Amino acid sequence: MTIEKVEDRTAASSDKAAAAGAGSRDIRARRGLLLSKNVAFRRKLFSWSSRSLLLLITATSASAVMFIFFYVVKEAIPFFLQRGFAEFFLSTRWYPSREPPEFGALAIFFGSAMVSLGAALFAVPVGVAAAVCLSDILPFKARQAVKPAIEILAAVPSVAYGFFALVVFAPLLQESGGKILAACALLFFVPIAVLSAIAIGGMAASRLSRENAGVWRWIIASVIAAAGLAAAWRISASISGVQISSGTNAMNVSLILGIMALPTVISVSEDALQAVGRELREASYALGATRAETIIRVVIPAAASGILAAALMGLMRAVGETMVVWMASGNSAKIPSPFYNYLEPVRTLTATIAGDMGEADHTTGSARYHVLFAMAACLLAISLTCNAVSELIARRARRKMAGE
Amino acid sequence: MRIETRKLLDKSFSGAGWISVFLMVAALAIILLPIAWRGAGAFVFRATVEHRRMMLELFGVGDPAEVSAETAAAAEARRPIYDMLARFRAELSAMPVADRRRMAGRLAQLENALRDLLGPLPGDPIPVLPRQRYGQTRWDRALKKLETVLFRETWDYSDPTRMGRKVMVPRAEDFKGTSLEPFFADVKMRVADMLRPKLAFYWRFLTDESRDSHFFGGIWPEMLGTIYLTIGAAMFAVPMGIISAVYLTEYAGDDRLTGALRTFIGALAGVPSIVFGLFGLAFFINTMKVSQSKSVLAGSLTLALLILPTIIRASEEAIRAVPAAYKEAALSLGAGKGRTIITVVLPAAMPGILTGIIISMGRAAGETAPIIFTAAVSVGDPLSLLETLSQPTPALPWNVYNMCTEHQKLDELRHVQFGMVLVLVMVVLALNVAAIWLRARISRKLKG
Amino acid sequence: MGSSISLLGMECRGCAQELPAEIRPRISARDFSVYYGSIAAVKRVAFDMPDGLITAIIGPSGCGKSTFLRSINRMNDLIPRCSVSGSLTFDGHEIYGPDIDVIALRQRIGMVFQKPNPFPKSIFDNVAYGPRLQGVRDRSKLAEIVERSLARAALWDEVKDRLHDNALGLSGGQQQRLCIARSLAVEPDVLLMDEPTSALDPRATAKIEELMLELRGTYTIVIVTHNMQQAARVSDLTAFLYEGELIEFDRTGTLFSRPKCKKTEDYITGRFG
Repeated sequence: MTIEKVEDRTAASSDKAAAAGAGSRDIRARRGLLLSKNVAFRRKLFSWSSRSLLLLITATSASAVMFIFFYVVKEAIPFFLQRGFAEFFLSTRWYPSREPPEFGALAIFFGSAMVSLGAALFAVPVGVAAAVCLSDILPFKARQAVKPAIEILAAVPSVAYGFFALVVFAPLLQESGGKILAACALLFFVPIAVLSAIAIGGMAASRLSRENAGVWRWIIASVIAAAGLAAAWRISASISGVQISSGTNAMNVSLILGIMALPTVISVSEDALQAVGRELREASYALGATRAETIIRVVIPAAASGILAAALMGLMRAVGETMVVWMASGNSAKIPSPFYNYLEPVRTLTATIAGDMGEADHTTGSARYHVLFAMAACLLAISLTCNAVSELIARRARRKMAGE
Repeated sequence: MRIETRKLLDKSFSGAGWISVFLMVAALAIILLPIAWRGAGAFVFRATVEHRRMMLELFGVGDPAEVSAETAAAAEARRPIYDMLARFRAELSAMPVADRRRMAGRLAQLENALRDLLGPLPGDPIPVLPRQRYGQTRWDRALKKLETVLFRETWDYSDPTRMGRKVMVPRAEDFKGTSLEPFFADVKMRVADMLRPKLAFYWRFLTDESRDSHFFGGIWPEMLGTIYLTIGAAMFAVPMGIISAVYLTEYAGDDRLTGALRTFIGALAGVPSIVFGLFGLAFFINTMKVSQSKSVLAGSLTLALLILPTIIRASEEAIRAVPAAYKEAALSLGAGKGRTIITVVLPAAMPGILTGIIISMGRAAGETAPIIFTAAVSVGDPLSLLETLSQPTPALPWNVYNMCTEHQKLDELRHVQFGMVLVLVMVVLALNVAAIWLRARISRKLKG
Repeated sequence: MGSSISLLGMECRGCAQELPAEIRPRISARDFSVYYGSIAAVKRVAFDMPDGLITAIIGPSGCGKSTFLRSINRMNDLIPRCSVSGSLTFDGHEIYGPDIDVIALRQRIGMVFQKPNPFPKSIFDNVAYGPRLQGVRDRSKLAEIVERSLARAALWDEVKDRLHDNALGLSGGQQQRLCIARSLAVEPDVLLMDEPTSALDPRATAKIEELMLELRGTYTIVIVTHNMQQAARVSDLTAFLYEGELIEFDRTGTLFSRPKCKKTEDYITGRFG
């Protein structure tokens, strides 16, 4: 099987000569196969050092977050040393410029929580429904048309949203807020009333009697629908009398923040829905389920953790948003009364930092300066925790998908 | 449940999905349309002769002969009402004292309203502030001001159970029986002659400097500031981002260290933007002292951190998408690893990387919170390149905020505010559209 | 020549050519194994690939033939957890020796891949890539190399008017010949071909095969193929690998007409694989 070996023909020794006379053979002017110790060492050193340099730069980018955490916490500590924890977290009296100053940030925490929750209440249902629509319902062409809209929604700068909230939306709310609310309530409750009437009617009829089921169904459904519609009308009529004293309030901000969080919620939950895969859907369709049943019973439960992560990320976006809340929340450091009253102005952590730093800047080192870093530290802690949790959820989901 | 019910519910479920998508698109339209419509008003509007005079005197734009002819014509149209005022002043001195005092007060109010509308009255000293040197430059504002000339605003508190009601009293009634009574009808009728509105396309809104804190002129300092900040941020973030992505995709092993690096970069993406601003203040300015106080440099560095994770992620994805075949081909031709990356992998990944860079530049251009404490001021001149190292700058996002919340005459300058927002949104959207286009091109190319 | 080709009792071009009297091995494997992790993909193979001839490696898919080929110019280095044992020499140098210059090695041992993989650059830049790596900057010299390489790859006439068009615009067969030209531009001693025609249509395949026969003599060619007719048509020597082991290695004519092993016979008669 072997063929006898002939003498070594490597050009190692003649390389230099070839390199010198490079004119004759352009390419033959090349290195030998063997590396001299020197060259090997140099090359190894070079590759090692370039690799280390890359690692160093990467580590620098990655350590930015540590730096941020470190500096924010470092500047926050003097505040807690001076004033302790109790006042900051438990008091609602925020008078940083009084003499003596008071730094009770509870109302501000509450305001942040309130607008973020409001934003999530809007963004999560709408976002998840839109994601379902995008991944399972819309035809391909329509999806291609909607995708850029989502990207634009995500790209519009926050200050533009804030400007809209302050200059366009707030006056509108102040002038005809009651009517807007009433219209929204009507739009929200009427479909629900009709749908639940149909569903309950159908179920009740099939329980009641075999014969005449069709007739029963219509009777029950129309009774329930009439009752529901009447209730919806009453609700909206009572709402339409509401006077909104200030257009810059928690509801305004929540709605705008909700719109801003939509792209995040939609894209993350759409990814989760896509990851469920065709097989599961087809299995359900094969058993005679409708599309809605397939999605609600099979797809959404399978994608639940991804959707949860999406909700969390949307919430995080709302918590960390500055400009909209600064411009349009009214910036009043009080807990609204009653506490669920979304029509009152509130103040959030981010807006307080943005607004007060201008004044506190000159007094570097004072409690008034450091309290803002304390807030930033809390903000950072919240968002890093949210980040970690959503990461964890996503990772768990991925592992689950890969094979339980 | 019966099959019909199930089908109906299925349909309504689809309907709910459609409604959500519609809601989203509608929200986008509702937010963008007023901005686009009213923002366009900063560029295209009916400009009065005052506008043309102002442009000539403050910016040196326009034909001097034409403008002076027009000014003369306008002055001719105004003369009768100024004469009327002079006649009334003479009449005033002949009145009984009580009447005189009452009428003098009303006259002063009227004269102020008229100054707002048409500029200084004959005989007034030339005001210091440019905004008082000219009458209304925009016809839409002029019509509003005309109202204040014709009507006096008072509040009716006669019903103690209700809030006060705004009442517009015609000034003609105030001056009933005097020689000034026909004044108002005359002003109302001939205001167009006095101001001579013409359609103007004011493209120089983008490139003119502002005069008298945005009363006149354009938004060039803000534009320039935003350009500086965006390019500055990209300058710092792009090399670091691409290098990090190369390391993470091509060099990093699958070990703890790599995992930690990835986690940290992911966490950086989750930091609220205002915290970046605080960090920029505490680190770049107070600790590193890259500049005495706020500066473009400090702002760019802060924004660079903000967009770093986006760039890293986009670059990683783009590099991963480069077919392994390219790498193998280069290696089999005797290229080393570094050479392969530089000559084959990065060029092939470049469109994808560029997409990420463009998107994150759009983000940097629109972010406000990080530059509040590190770079932005409300009023400032356009900076030279060298000054960016030490000077703060106005910037579009910050000045949008500032103009609509802190400007002393914010109600009168809505057109500037809307114009600024429109420009900002257009800049950001243009960058994003460029990115979308680029990505579409790539996917077309990959499909062949 | 040009006679019809049948598998058994064949009268094919490759074996019709007389082998030179003296055969010098360019690459030799001895006890050579390749492992992915702990799994051996190539098991203790030993044979020589002689200078200036075409050696074909055949075998059913998954038999380790590509792995073996890729280990000749150390492309397997890219795959993590891939290791080798035994001896594989090129011109007497241990390819996996500690002092080998991998980059120089790959310049000497070029490779053509299963799917044509031109860079998304112009035709010219594709061919000039290798010379540029070695520091040839002179435009006219590059042009000369590009023309020579393209001509040797029988592509020059087809592309000479559009050298600066994107290479991805070429047809599959042209792309593959471009890849060959790109390899030739580095002036390698050995050309490794990893199923170079499996992604091509029959006409493009014929062209490539023709090209290989033209390159025979100047270059040492090692070709991996699952197409037995191809091996029979073009190669001088054929190695049959099965499950990582070398079953038989012989002159192509001998192997196809009088296989010594039962397994070889079963494979070439199409009983499996």
